[in-house]
Amino acid sequence: MRIPQLLSRRATSPLRASKFSSHLHRPLTSRFSTDAASHPANRVQIYLSKSTDPFLNLSVEHRLLQITPPDSTILTLYVNSPSIIFGRNQNPWLQVNLNRLAQIAQDPSSAGWNDSPIQLVRRRSGGGAVFHDAGNVNFSVICPPEHFDRNKHAEMVVRALKALGRPNTRVNERHDIVMDIASKGEPETYKISGSAYKLTRLRSLHHGTCLLGSPNLSSISGLLRSPAGGYLDARGVDSVRRPVKNIDVGNDEFKDAVVTEFESMYGDVHFRGEFDDTAIQVDEIRRGYEELQSKSWIWGQTPRFTFSTHPTEEDPRPRPELPFDLNMCLLAKHGVIEEMTIKHSDGAAVNALDDSKFHGASVWEIDNWAESLSRAGLGGSLSREAGAWLNGMFGTDYTRMVKS
Amino acid sequence: MASIACSLRAARPVAMRLAPRAAPMVRLAMPVRSFSSSRMSLARKYTKDHEWIDLSADRKTGVIGISEYAAEQLGDVVYVELPPAGDWTDAGDSIGAVESVKSASDINAPVRCKVTHANTLLEEKPATINQVPEDDSAGGGWIVKVEVDEEGAKQFDELMDAAAYKEFIAE
Repeated sequence: MRIPQLLSRRATSPLRASKFSSHLHRPLTSRFSTDAASHPANRVQIYLSKSTDPFLNLSVEHRLLQITPPDSTILTLYVNSPSIIFGRNQNPWLQVNLNRLAQIAQDPSSAGWNDSPIQLVRRRSGGGAVFHDAGNVNFSVICPPEHFDRNKHAEMVVRALKALGRPNTRVNERHDIVMDIASKGEPETYKISGSAYKLTRLRSLHHGTCLLGSPNLSSISGLLRSPAGGYLDARGVDSVRRPVKNIDVGNDEFKDAVVTEFESMYGDVHFRGEFDDTAIQVDEIRRGYEELQSKSWIWGQTPRFTFSTHPTEEDPRPRPELPFDLNMCLLAKHGVIEEMTIKHSDGAAVNALDDSKFHGASVWEIDNWAESLSRAGLGGSLSREAGAWLNGMFGTDYTRMVKS
Repeated sequence: MASIACSLRAARPVAMRLAPRAAPMVRLAMPVRSFSSSRMSLARKYTKDHEWIDLSADRKTGVIGISEYAAEQLGDVVYVELPPAGDWTDAGDSIGAVESVKSASDINAPVRCKVTHANTLLEEKPATINQVPEDDSAGGGWIVKVEVDEEGAKQFDELMDAAAYKEFIAE
């Protein structure tokens, strides 16, 4: 669908005077326009998303990274429905409590969850795992690599927050935005925003979260804690835990303030657009969307990891005692099992067991470890006990649920 | 070596990430072993995107990595995504990625090439890229070994030699 060029014209001055308030001003259309985004004259662009689909928002953002003019600077603001967004080079089995995601999806009330189900998303940028919901606004700035600076646009957001009467915010040494709160002893510092970056040959992308009024704050830490943590040793990138807090600002207020700061940095805005779920009708956006949703991306992009029920040379951490007499150790690359060793805990071989049956199996496609162990030749009760335990470790309730 | 590299990086203010015009890096003056190899001065070339490529005498194979300057700018590399062997990649297209300081950065093919080997040492020790990014030997921070076709060899000739690259990053 082509949109008339009318849209890509400079904003007229009355429009600029209105500061493009997200709730006051609406552009003519909510369709994503490839022509406008890629038009060389549109060197400063601002987008507001009306979609709350994390896959869609990340896919539009990625498309903007690919097609906007090389010398342009692009601001996008979006809010996602509840989701865990983890980094390009992270391990979801290690970063996320998949069982909890399944429980929330299947029986929210008994999970004490009052929001929509949580989607699991691997993003294309680096960094750690974060939680998004309706009380978190994401900002994204795409700019030429020669102007890239990890703090530049976090500072822009801090200026916006200060303008909204939050003087106690700052960018810390990890490029996160934090809020200092006076207390009796040392001031307490809370993270309110985290950032991640994607750098390509022609363009740099910085996107970040900002916790404004999330109703789910108390759940975040439990969602980002895996039961497999004590057994799994992963290459790639770990997340750094920090106490978080809402900054108690309205979403629209925040968006307007960020737009204002962006405008004061970059001057005339040549194109302002909105997009919604119809952006998926753009072929390249749909392809990016499908890629983000594919199992080979969500699970198969996982860096090499080992999972072992007992200390190994590579991962000598002591392990809690298990309720069954087995030592199990697996090595997976791209989420596919390359080695699997199952022995009795005294090191003796297990009768009739062929652990090579696991080789080549994708961890996310194992629906029930008890069945797989049993197929490999492990006897009845032992396969049930160890299988149930492994199901919990690898979140099969969740992987089975999202397999369709 | 590692600790020296780290302290140098730490001593560098973040803002310098943005300052390609900054004075030449101290590290360039450090004794890096492969500088003495004649192979490098004869057949190592650099891209504006800070990759280097060594081309063999018969111009059919090459080794690719990122420059010391790029490694310095990236900060501590925590993960290297290596490409699978096998497919032809055009110049400028991605042949891998590195992650450092929350950033996923593409590594681009300097010339048209086909990956034959990836440096699996980097999976285990990604920091090797910070320590010896321009070392193409075993234990070095090279990224891939490639096959190069005629087109790739022609593209190689267009790239910058070490002297031109040094000038480029000092600009």
